[in-house]
Amino acid sequence: MGESAEQPAREPVAELESAAARWLERVAFVIGSIGLLGAMAVDSLAVLGRHLGLPILGSIEIVQACVVLLASASMLGATLRAAHARVHILIDRLHGAGKHVLLRCSDLLSAIVFLTFAIGSIWIARELWGGHEHSELLHIPLRWLRALWIVTALTIAAVFVTRVVRKGR
Amino acid sequence: TGRNQSASEYELTYATPYPPMHPFSRADQRWMTFVEERSSGRLSIRPFWGGALLSADQSVIEIRHGVADIGLITPIYMKGGMHASRAQAGFYGGVRTMEDQVAILKCASHDFPVFSQELRGLRVLALQGGNFPGVLTRSKPVRSLADLQGMRLRTQSETIDVLRRLGADPVDMPMSEVYSALAKGVIDGVVAPADTLKALHLAEVGSYFTELRISRGSYPARAMSLRAWDKLPADLQAVLIESQPVWERALMDEVMRGQEAGYQFGREKGVELIPISAEDQRHFDEVAQQSAAHRAQSLSKYGIDGEAILHRIQELVHERADGKVLSCDGALVGEGV
Amino acid sequence: MTPELIGLLGILALLFLLTVGVPIGVSLAVVGLGGLCILIGPEAAVIKAGVVTFETISRYELGVLPLFLLMAHFCFQAGASRDFFEVAVRFVGHRRGGLALASIAGCAGFGAVSGSSLATVATVSSVALPEMRRHGYAPGFATGALAAGGTLGSLIPPSGALIVFGIIAEQSIGRLFAAAVIPGISQALFYMGAIFVMCRINPALGPAILRTPWRERWPAVRRIADIFVLIVFVVGGLMIGWFTPTEAAAVGCVGALGLCAWRRRLSGGMLKEALQTTLRTTGMIYVVILGALLFSVFVSVTGITDQVSQLVRGLDAGPIAAIIVMAIALLLLGSVLDGLALMLLMTPIFLPIVHDLNLSPIWFGIFLVRTMEIGFVHPPLGLNVYVLHEMARDIPLGTIFRGIVPFLVADFLHLALLIAVPALSLWLPSVVSP
Ligand code: NA
Ligand code: NA
Repeated sequence: MGESAEQPAREPVAELESAAARWLERVAFVIGSIGLLGAMAVDSLAVLGRHLGLPILGSIEIVQACVVLLASASMLGATLRAAHARVHILIDRLHGAGKHVLLRCSDLLSAIVFLTFAIGSIWIARELWGGHEHSELLHIPLRWLRALWIVTALTIAAVFVTRVVRKGR
Repeated sequence: TGRNQSASEYELTYATPYPPMHPFSRADQRWMTFVEERSSGRLSIRPFWGGALLSADQSVIEIRHGVADIGLITPIYMKGGMHASRAQAGFYGGVRTMEDQVAILKCASHDFPVFSQELRGLRVLALQGGNFPGVLTRSKPVRSLADLQGMRLRTQSETIDVLRRLGADPVDMPMSEVYSALAKGVIDGVVAPADTLKALHLAEVGSYFTELRISRGSYPARAMSLRAWDKLPADLQAVLIESQPVWERALMDEVMRGQEAGYQFGREKGVELIPISAEDQRHFDEVAQQSAAHRAQSLSKYGIDGEAILHRIQELVHERADGKVLSCDGALVGEGV
Repeated sequence: MTPELIGLLGILALLFLLTVGVPIGVSLAVVGLGGLCILIGPEAAVIKAGVVTFETISRYELGVLPLFLLMAHFCFQAGASRDFFEVAVRFVGHRRGGLALASIAGCAGFGAVSGSSLATVATVSSVALPEMRRHGYAPGFATGALAAGGTLGSLIPPSGALIVFGIIAEQSIGRLFAAAVIPGISQALFYMGAIFVMCRINPALGPAILRTPWRERWPAVRRIADIFVLIVFVVGGLMIGWFTPTEAAAVGCVGALGLCAWRRRLSGGMLKEALQTTLRTTGMIYVVILGALLFSVFVSVTGITDQVSQLVRGLDAGPIAAIIVMAIALLLLGSVLDGLALMLLMTPIFLPIVHDLNLSPIWFGIFLVRTMEIGFVHPPLGLNVYVLHEMARDIPLGTIFRGIVPFLVADFLHLALLIAVPALSLWLPSVVSP
């Protein structure tokens, strides 16, 4: 079986040299897989249940929670593997210091963006924290999902920051 | 506020998730015209339609922080922080008109500080009621409540409990999927007001519309950030205060017009309108009342005395039914940020 | 500085960031957030970022995208892309450009399990590109066919782009899928026509290989029978109403997993590989979507969108002229913007115009996705081209882009046909759902 090549315009897969990065990637993989397989299983059971006359009320809410898991974890995973889509016109033609500076600036901007995502999410979560935010039917508490996303966004920002400060790449 | 490129002295942004053709938006446009005329052009409103600026369910937070100066808010969609405002919309059993829905909430909100606590950082510019949803079904008509037994009906969350109590099988699915789900029989029907017959083209895929009146109330529907409010001079604030009844009237008119257009479209598409017997309607209202009582009780877990709110709103519904005129003045203003 | 000017500067800044290689999603978000800071203030901009991010990652409807990706990966792991390609090779391999024709057919077949153009181009190319190069196909011709063929993946249902369009435009996704079937098939035929003509003019582009006897063709067909059943089940079940589009993806995944088991390909390693790749692509897509959403909020606040729509309305030259102007705008923007970002940005602007002109929103969805797909293959931001470039680093980007030109001609002819004959899109949905 040929290797599945499905990272558009990616840079060569970053070395996951540190133990911390490897650990993070495992965590992201496990959470993302739970989300992905969970969404698959729950939606399929909902179809099956409906056709057997045993409808599952609130299945959409479980899938929604699964989607939060898989979306957060997948963004972290894509970041660890440097799989974000980018235009290579210039980067591939540069070598040495120029390329180095460009990549660092790009990582810095990425860190700022995810930090902003996190700050905005924290602000909102703080306002809603005592507001008992939960889903309609199953009363799934949304604040823990918000918290998961905040931790993820902060972690992604941190990954980009380590790339900025690290010497040589 | 007060962006330079505008010819008027003050420009406020107004944002809504609805497209400009929607009945709500048509009412919004009438309000804008009023404001601009009454302020002799000193105050102009710059609209953002179709969710370009504000989200559908987090707009309360967004307006509070100035994403838009004024916007459409829907407390009934907020999953947290507005439990009293959203639950009360289900407490209006027996209410007759949209005018009554709005008047009742104005009075009730005087008595319960929780409503202004939930609207922190906002000033409400208009309340909005709604017309009564009925039941649109695909192949099996609902001629009596007994027909609901076992029917798979898409409904909004407030009505799920009532329908379950009546033996139906309520489902939650995104409104965008209802058309195809109904067309193919994934669901047997949908609980929706008549305007959706046209607005969502549901008359093309449904055959029967049962005019079961599912009571609903009003909610604070248009709000302005307190910060933007405080920046306005007193005379322009006065214009906005004056505009509230205009906006509320426009909303009622446009909602009614949308409903008529829905019925008209339904007739063109051969949808059979089915009236429901007075006795069945009474029975339905009783079940809805039980459900509302249950919901009111459950508010206690958020530290809200839901039963008192339910009691007060029902009292006001009965006062209206007895012909009493309700006129509670004063705007619904949230606490400062 | 007027908001419109800020908007223009923002677009220039975006082009700059994209060119210097800042990730697409990050570039969109940086400009979007920066612009919002200036226009509505830093506090509002940060709150908007918080709202958009959580709302997007908790969206049920968007969960469909990764599920369709996962289904495609399971099918890939089960050998589907190779099998599709091989069937096609046995039937048309003996013709000039036969392997290219087979690639188009393989893309169309794989497009029916995959929701994305990128996934299709990547999976089919991994099989077809080495074969074509081994048989002496001109590199530009081979990659051109694959890059163009890959775009079939985003029109032939299931289609991630149509799902996103259905959500924004509040149109039935099932009807959109039905509407895409004939345009998708005719698009494949147009590409085949282009290959046929090219090889007529220059036979050296794609030499014929040995004819496969008929008795060897049918066993290959039998090999794809199970995948065929799965596709018919998922797409057919969706159209008949066994499940909603969102559920179809989940059911398709379970079916594809069953297919792997049936073909004895199920293993821990394979499962892990499929999950890993799906998650990686999903993460990439979510970041682009988040950035695109923030960027489009910024663009609306600048008022540029009003100007564009006034421009189109102001022409007042009837629907065809408006459609052509919209197509040109999409193609121009498509050369610098990612397709999904483009759709998120332009749908809200064009939809009211489409409504005013009494055009069908279903037809418009097909038109939009079809036009957007062309952007996947034209420079400077043709994502499919970069995917191919990754797989064959020795073929220069310029060669790949040049190889695409004849297929672009086919694209434009096909687009013109879709505009001229709306029934190509609207007939099937009128038959399968009332
Ligand atoms: Na597809
Ligand atoms: Na493009």
